[in-house]
Amino acid sequence: MSKTIDNMSSVRPDLIEKVTGRAEYITDLTVPGMLHGFVVRSPAVHARIVSIDTSAALASDGVVDVLTGADVAQFGLWGLVLKDRPIIAIDRVRHVGEPIAVVIADTVEIAENAAELVDVEYEELPRATTIREAMADGAPLIHAHHENLQDFYFKGGARPTQGSNVFHTYRNEVGDVDAAEATAAYIHEDHFTFPGISHFALEPHTVIADFKGDSLTIWAGAQTPTAVQKVLSRLFGLQLARIRVIVPFVGGGFGGKASVKIEPLVAAASWKVQRPVRIAQSQVESMLTCRRLGADITIRTAVDAKGRIVAKSAKLLLDGGAYSDTGSAVATKSANRIMGPYVMPNLRLEAQAVYTNTIPGAAFRSIGGPQAVWAKESHMDNVAAAIGMDPSEFRLINLASRGQRTRPDLRALDMDMSELMGRVSQSFGTEANASNRKSRGLAVAATDPANTPISNAIVRLKIDGSILVSTSAIEVGQGSHATMGRIAAQTLKQPASAVTVLRTDTAVAPYDWGTGASRSTIVVGLSVEKAALDAADQILEMVADVWELPKESLSLVEGGVSIGAEVLTFHEIFHRTLGVDSGEVIGRGAITPRSKKGALVESPLFWETSAGLAEIIVDEDTGEIHIPHYASAADVGRVINRVAAEGQDEGAAVMGFGHALYEQLEFEDGQPVNANPIDYFIPRISDVPPAFDTILIENGDGPGPGGAKGMGEGAILPVAPAIANALFSAYGIRITDLPMTPEKVWRALQKRN
Amino acid sequence: MLPLPFEYTRLPTIDEALAAVGEDGEGMFYSGGTELLLAMKMRVIHTERLVDIKGIAGLDGIMLNDADEIEIGARCTHNRIAGDALIQEHVPALSALCADVANIRVRSVGTIGGNLCFGEPHADPPTMLAVLDARLVLQGLGGIRSVPADEFIQGELETVRAPNELLTTIVFPRPSGSVTYRRFKHGERPSVNVAMAWSLAERNTIIASARIRVGALSFRPQALTAVEDALRGRSIVEARCAVAEALPAALDALDVNADRHGGADYKRHLAGVLLQRNLDDALGGGRS
Repeated sequence: MSKTIDNMSSVRPDLIEKVTGRAEYITDLTVPGMLHGFVVRSPAVHARIVSIDTSAALASDGVVDVLTGADVAQFGLWGLVLKDRPIIAIDRVRHVGEPIAVVIADTVEIAENAAELVDVEYEELPRATTIREAMADGAPLIHAHHENLQDFYFKGGARPTQGSNVFHTYRNEVGDVDAAEATAAYIHEDHFTFPGISHFALEPHTVIADFKGDSLTIWAGAQTPTAVQKVLSRLFGLQLARIRVIVPFVGGGFGGKASVKIEPLVAAASWKVQRPVRIAQSQVESMLTCRRLGADITIRTAVDAKGRIVAKSAKLLLDGGAYSDTGSAVATKSANRIMGPYVMPNLRLEAQAVYTNTIPGAAFRSIGGPQAVWAKESHMDNVAAAIGMDPSEFRLINLASRGQRTRPDLRALDMDMSELMGRVSQSFGTEANASNRKSRGLAVAATDPANTPISNAIVRLKIDGSILVSTSAIEVGQGSHATMGRIAAQTLKQPASAVTVLRTDTAVAPYDWGTGASRSTIVVGLSVEKAALDAADQILEMVADVWELPKESLSLVEGGVSIGAEVLTFHEIFHRTLGVDSGEVIGRGAITPRSKKGALVESPLFWETSAGLAEIIVDEDTGEIHIPHYASAADVGRVINRVAAEGQDEGAAVMGFGHALYEQLEFEDGQPVNANPIDYFIPRISDVPPAFDTILIENGDGPGPGGAKGMGEGAILPVAPAIANALFSAYGIRITDLPMTPEKVWRALQKRN
Repeated sequence: MLPLPFEYTRLPTIDEALAAVGEDGEGMFYSGGTELLLAMKMRVIHTERLVDIKGIAGLDGIMLNDADEIEIGARCTHNRIAGDALIQEHVPALSALCADVANIRVRSVGTIGGNLCFGEPHADPPTMLAVLDARLVLQGLGGIRSVPADEFIQGELETVRAPNELLTTIVFPRPSGSVTYRRFKHGERPSVNVAMAWSLAERNTIIASARIRVGALSFRPQALTAVEDALRGRSIVEARCAVAEALPAALDALDVNADRHGGADYKRHLAGVLLQRNLDDALGGGRS
């Protein structure tokens, strides 16, 4: 029997467009006069550019121009936290895949063919391709100078160590770890590593830039359009108001399209030819553009005789690749995220981000989170085993409770982790106890999203009762536009079908910090709610004024305003007020750190939480791990759109299965080995556990509209350690580096025997 | 990424297609294109002329011939073979293999002939066809020859087929006994695969002959001769014992490349595991 959707208005409007093929992505757009760029990339890991000969490419029919470093040296460097990046390689390449020239031609075919004719001579430089090599004495310096941009993108900046490859160090110390360890009953230390991982968004980075004199229009799948605007403004000396960033539908971002990526490169190509230029990267090129930071983590816990944590310390080294991007923030967050929802009276955290001659690191779904939680939650089970305690029991006696702080400078916990742990266990409850072939592993996470409380929204109410919502939150598949529409409709008491949410366009949409850090529903949602209330107030004010009624006696109803005995349609209100049958009210909503009496200032705005329980079966002959059942729980405060919310949580968990079992960007002496969609494996629908429980806890206690908290980045965190803990408990093997491939598991089993 | 410009032609007969590819082989035959077009887009292969053979009648049939052999047209897609009633009846393991090659897009358009001619070491069909003692029929301007499946692949991505020869048919004797296939996947491709076929005598109690091929470990499938010898003439109740005795030395004798699909010792071990699972299937009478 087929299931029919009886109420199409409950379906996200963007999904209808997508399944019918009408949704437009950047490659569906054509700008009149548009040329195509193809990027020539470095095959060298670290090299000085001796010469670039573009003459043969330039002589090809249909080639308009070739952009090289010599053209852009005048613009200097750019960055988000550290200014360390040229628009295109100038005198040196620092990683394989770094752009070295852009061939600009009438068609992409001509550009790609001519790109093969660009002749570059390189002189190899000593390289540092791993954290260890980059931190060794006498390591080649990948960047000689760092210019810190304080409060430019994130609040704060980076703390680079001059004369080294360390571009950021973060430390946080609470109490006295040494003293606590001196009297502890037991101390356990572990070491874990985490590989670089590709974002693998289905839509690779694609940008159209149109430079016209002193104005610039960019079509990009940018998660943070206002950051793109700002970086381009500084780089090219253009007024912010003259830079327009348009973001149509985006085919996945996961952080790989956050901050700024290829926009300066495409803008420079357009600047050179003074015509619109499109660069549409292939998946391979996008895999060479950015990745999640790899990590090398040492973690130590000291407990008292009752198993209570008395001290915890962690040292995290993050492989930031050739350019810093937002790697410094990733490092800082990794230190915060290795704490977990536990009481730790004494704490010592240190995280460093390091340049290496590999693909640049970037934000990726829960920055620093999977790295930290992989180590922390694997370690928790090791400590529990070492002191002979059940791992759930060990967690429960150490959990910080609701309202308790895990660190003095962070907001008190706004959730109850024991509730999440209970819910994932319950979801397995009706089954018979795990057989000896099956084993279970648990992991939990509590992370601090950097959900910068700065956002603006505009909500316009038209005479026919239709509503236009405009924000800079982008629609990247997560359903934020449908959510914004729903918030506006509910606030204005109008049907969801009355609301249209505009695709993001900075010429129309007001400033917002950006789409990421699980912040849109909360921060942008609050600004939409505020703007809708402002619009409501204006229309009620009109009625009160013109009909001479007390405002308190008026209320919004579907299609108009109730004045008690009758309902005035929006038409009637505008017509009588303005004298003509036209007009609109424009509601404005602004969220700042000062909003809600300063309640949004303290970090984090909410705790993003998750618990994951994995049941696994291992084929001991091959080492293959099967996961028949997985349960994921998150405290989301309140669900606004259930299908979208569950989809986000499940998508995050499935991405976690990729991290846990399949994914790793491999390098051999700096050369990417599998940076292509053939040799790099992501999970498929057939890899999703047949039994999958998604539990969303709603206590209406979040800071967002209706008590919502942010979500979408939590469920990825517990997956790998939950699986590793299941392996440890039933098979007695502890995997300390991801992914847990069959070969790795088999070797560990061999070693155990 | 886009391929360099090339000419495209679709011809209705084998002779015309052979002529179009040319004596010096500047053209290439094209059917499913799942390997070739990808390689052309990556610019690791270039051809001046793509000769589409999808218009040639008679290359996509599956039949039992008068000599009690099964003939499969080289242009049969994996899906076509998987769903064919004759294959399902006589070689269900081949049907199952074809139903699980790569992904649904490859199975829908990719052909068994293309798979063989690409010479990819990490492939499913070559191991199975070698165990079935298949002959591959090649037609060139000079005539027709047939090559045993065991000898077809000559190196990584290299076969005995001359560029201007067209693989037209795959022929193998209708199996008289159990045929089984097991593989271990790394991504979409097998990192190791093992196929086994045996025929029984004395009212199905004695193994008259056995063929075992291990694929993907080096450039082409390899015979586990020592195990084949150990099984020959043994009663099926002794089969496990015979395999267990002969297996360690037979595995040691395999040529194994360590690569991204796994270390040599691991893959050698997997070959043994997969062989024993084939044996379980054969003895259990599961997927024959």
